[in-house]
Amino acid sequence: MLKKGLFGMVLSVALVAMFFVPAYAAPEPYLVGAAISITGPGSEPLAPIKDALDIYFKDVNAKGGINGHPVKLLIEDTMNEPSRAATQARQLVTQNKVSLLILAGLSSLYAPVVQVAEQYNVPLLFLGVCPPETYPPKADPNQFCSTAFGMKFDSSFAVPFIHEQSKGSSLKLALEAMNVPLSRNEIDWAEQLAKSMGIEVVDKEVTPPPTADFTPFATKMKSSGATWAYSYGPWGMEVRTFEALRKLGWKGKYLAYGHIQAEDELKRLKDDDFYVYGTNAFFTDNTQAHQRIKAMSEKEKTVYPYTQLTDGWIGATVIEEVLKKVPWPATPDKVRESMNQVKVDTQGLKGGPIVWTKTNHYRTTGYYRAYKWDSKKNAVVIAKDWTAIEVK
Amino acid sequence: MQIIVNTVVLASLYSLIGCGFVLIYRASRVVNLAQGELMAMGGYFLFTVAMGLFKEPIPSFLVASVFSVGLGFIIYFFLMRFMAGESVFAAILSTIALGILLRGLITLIWTSQLWHPLEKMGITNASHTLVKDAVISTFGIVTVLSAFFIYLALFLCLKFTRWGLRMQAVGENPLLASRRGIKLHNYYALSWGVAAFTGGFAGMIQSCDAILEPGMVAIGLKTFPVVLVGGLDSLAGVIPGAFVVAIAEVIAINYISPQASEAAPFVVLLIMLLIRPWGLFGTKEELERV
Repeated sequence: MLKKGLFGMVLSVALVAMFFVPAYAAPEPYLVGAAISITGPGSEPLAPIKDALDIYFKDVNAKGGINGHPVKLLIEDTMNEPSRAATQARQLVTQNKVSLLILAGLSSLYAPVVQVAEQYNVPLLFLGVCPPETYPPKADPNQFCSTAFGMKFDSSFAVPFIHEQSKGSSLKLALEAMNVPLSRNEIDWAEQLAKSMGIEVVDKEVTPPPTADFTPFATKMKSSGATWAYSYGPWGMEVRTFEALRKLGWKGKYLAYGHIQAEDELKRLKDDDFYVYGTNAFFTDNTQAHQRIKAMSEKEKTVYPYTQLTDGWIGATVIEEVLKKVPWPATPDKVRESMNQVKVDTQGLKGGPIVWTKTNHYRTTGYYRAYKWDSKKNAVVIAKDWTAIEVK
Repeated sequence: MQIIVNTVVLASLYSLIGCGFVLIYRASRVVNLAQGELMAMGGYFLFTVAMGLFKEPIPSFLVASVFSVGLGFIIYFFLMRFMAGESVFAAILSTIALGILLRGLITLIWTSQLWHPLEKMGITNASHTLVKDAVISTFGIVTVLSAFFIYLALFLCLKFTRWGLRMQAVGENPLLASRRGIKLHNYYALSWGVAAFTGGFAGMIQSCDAILEPGMVAIGLKTFPVVLVGGLDSLAGVIPGAFVVAIAEVIAINYISPQASEAAPFVVLLIMLLIRPWGLFGTKEELERV
């Protein structure tokens, strides 16, 4: 009888352990859904974001997660196809019940994914280009952005920079964009800005997305007598036009938006008159955050080189800060509430913190820096240090 | 003068890519819509060879060319062979599927990163001044010379060699050719091999002259108007077709609007379809077959 009772007790304890203990051992995760363009045309600046998110949250989870809960990333490859991105976003929200949706894709993906986020009232974080809907004074309650590109703000740094660098010498500016809305609108804005500053704009080229040879465009830019050229578009277009200009013997100076490839490309090109600007610090700064990215990338053997992981890493830092302030259980409403008042220390990866308010989901201050190659030092150097641009 | 040089280089590049469309069409009546992917694969083969096997440009180009030819044969024997006897439409659809497959493979193997094979081979793409300050890059010269020699070689082979004549016979009347003992599959495969080589070679040059990226495949599709303007079944038509399209593009950039260059090839194509639907050097009957 006693034996039977003992056996029953042991069995009961075993059953309790089987069904209940694991629930305590593995706390429920924060669910974050991400639609990222890992493959497909134009995915080269976006695909590394997956790598950065993966290694960042692997580390976070290894250290106990956030508020005792791990972060579970559900990543889908949009292949830069709008319909696919919309389907994936819907699935992440309705089936996986994510509290936060991330989109890193071309601007053509924005409308369908925004529609899903609005329909199900889930906050949407952009890790590609920041849409104007995140800007003040009327930021969309559901849309947030932590990455680099910002229409109208980027050229507000670039054009005055060119003006300053020309130092009173003859300045004739050629502009170049790709025939996609974001790039074309920014160059139109740059033209307007340059003219308002008294800069002579001698040429403006808008190249088609599939361009076999940039030499015909470069020929026109060169023959316009430009002393400076400013290019804003995908990195392939920016750098190929620059190389075509140099092949034609153009001796002017060139400023391009510094995408994730920029640091490695400055080292490859080794041209003293090729400038890039952007909102992220290069690895030449070698801050603790840079060292951590490099170490994690090497440890986890990321697909993309560590020099391309900064944007994704900053996005992950923002997500961590947001989730820290989300009381359990996490819901889209609580996440959005947290996102409406966040201040993220970017640990030297940017010129200052990313601050979001209820009316500003972009950042209250943008920090820009320009870099170039210096042959004498045989290194990438800062051409102009952090310049703050108020976002109003 | 620079405008003329630009036009010649662009037309040569289009000729190299367009050549593959015509070769496959002539032999098997299949319009290969994966020609852009075959072109990109050539660039990636060169990059891989330059990274791992040879650092020198000539062996790298040779080995990458062998890989390109091999890819053409593999595609034929493992995919297109099974489309023999099926409708032309089904065969074209299978080339679209092939293109998607190759694009997927490119991203899986080489990722979406931008690569520079030239850097791996340790050479630079120097500029050379021609007359009156007109400049051409080393790989610009390579493009023009390659187009010239490849077309010359193809012309001679198709006219004067046994396999060239057989290849033509297979294209013109496969039933009769088969009855004469010509192994059709071998010649279809050969056309795929040569098309993959010419497209791949264009990709190798392009990756050295510019950059290697998955987006390169779009250039292949942009070349499609070239072959339609020249005549889908005419190898000799590709060259004038390429020049017409390149001139239209360069004129649009310089005298209309840079944005118009995107539409220029298709405007030329539309005009050609209205005036002479079978192209400059194409044959009228082919239109009915398509």
